[in-house]
Amino acid sequence: MNFPLSFWDISLWLAVTAIILLTTSELTSPYYGKTNLLINKKRLKNAALTTGTLFLITVAIRIYEIITST
Amino acid sequence: MRESSKVIGYILLVFGTLSLILSIFYEHVILAFIGLGLTFWGALLLFIRPGKYVKEKLLNTTTLPTLADINQILAELEYQGKPTYLPPKYFTNPETCQIYIPKDKNTTLPTPQETKKHENKIFLKNPEAALIIPPGLSLSKLFEKTTGKSFTKTDIEHLQQNLPKIFIEDLEIAENIEIQTKPSKTAKKLTDAVALIHLQTGTIHAKITNSVYTDTCKETETLPHIHAAIGCPICSAIAIAITKATRKPVTIEKEQTNGRNIDTEYRIILEE
Repeated sequence: MNFPLSFWDISLWLAVTAIILLTTSELTSPYYGKTNLLINKKRLKNAALTTGTLFLITVAIRIYEIITST
Repeated sequence: MRESSKVIGYILLVFGTLSLILSIFYEHVILAFIGLGLTFWGALLLFIRPGKYVKEKLLNTTTLPTLADINQILAELEYQGKPTYLPPKYFTNPETCQIYIPKDKNTTLPTPQETKKHENKIFLKNPEAALIIPPGLSLSKLFEKTTGKSFTKTDIEHLQQNLPKIFIEDLEIAENIEIQTKPSKTAKKLTDAVALIHLQTGTIHAKITNSVYTDTCKETETLPHIHAAIGCPICSAIAIAITKATRKPVTIEKEQTNGRNIDTEYRIILEE
C-alpha cells in the first residue's frame, strides 16, 4: 500500500494544472472586458499563481539534484 | 449558481478522495491521477465561489431617487452657484470631503476657518450656501480601502497609475479609465521647471469606458443640479479623489455620456 505517484509525476501534473489555470485566469481577466463572468477572479488568479509556483519549486529541486549529482 | 457550484465542488472532492484512497490501496497510477485532479478541482470550485453580484438595473433604481431629491431641494431653494468639492483641509476630519454650493453665482469660496465653524450644518448663512455630502463619498472611501492608502497622502500621478487597477481589476466597475491632466492657459506659458503648477491650476479629464454607472450617469442628464455640477456617483467619487490628492477645491465642468463612455472634466480651483 504505497502512493503510486512519484515526485516527478506530481511535478508533471502541477505543470498541466498550472497551464490550464493560468490560461483561464488570463482569458477571464477584466482587462480583456470579461466583466460578466461571475466567479472570484482574484482567487482564481491566486490559485493559478500558487500552482505555477509549486511547479517551479519542483523544477528548482530537479535542477539542484542535477547540479549536486555531477 | 452559488449553491450548484458548492454541490459540484463537494461531489468532486468526495469522488477525488475516494479515488486517491483506492489508488493507494491498489497502487494504481491512473486512479491516483484521477483522484488528484478531482480533489484539486473540487477544492478549487469551493475556493473560487461566485461572488455576490447585483444587476445593473438595481444600481440605477436605488441611486437615482436620492440624486433626484438633492436636485429638487436645490431647485426649490433656488441655489444658483457652482458646486465645489472642498478638500479635507476645510474640515476638522482629515478624511472628509464635502460639496460647497453657494446660493448666488458670484459668491467666492469660504476659507477653511469659516467651513470648520459650520461643518455640521447643511445650510450656511452670510453668504447663503449649502454644505452637502457628495454622492460618491462612500465609493471613494471604497477606492481608498481597496488600495489601502488614503488619497490625501497621494498625488495626481498616483491616481493616474492606481485608479485603472481599482476600476478594472479590483472592483470591476469599468472596462477602462483614463485620467489626463491639461494645464491651464496661464500655466502653459510657464517653463518646465515650474510646470508643477499645471496640476494645481489646470483641468483634469477622465474617460471611463463601459462602466456599471453609465446608465445612472445618463439618467442624471435630466437633473440640472446634479449633471455636470454635483455629478453622478462615479464622477463624484473621482472628484473627491482629485480634491484629496491635489488638496485643492475641484469643480465638475463637463459630464458627458457617449454610448458606454463617460467623459468628465474637472477643474482645480486656485484658492485666493
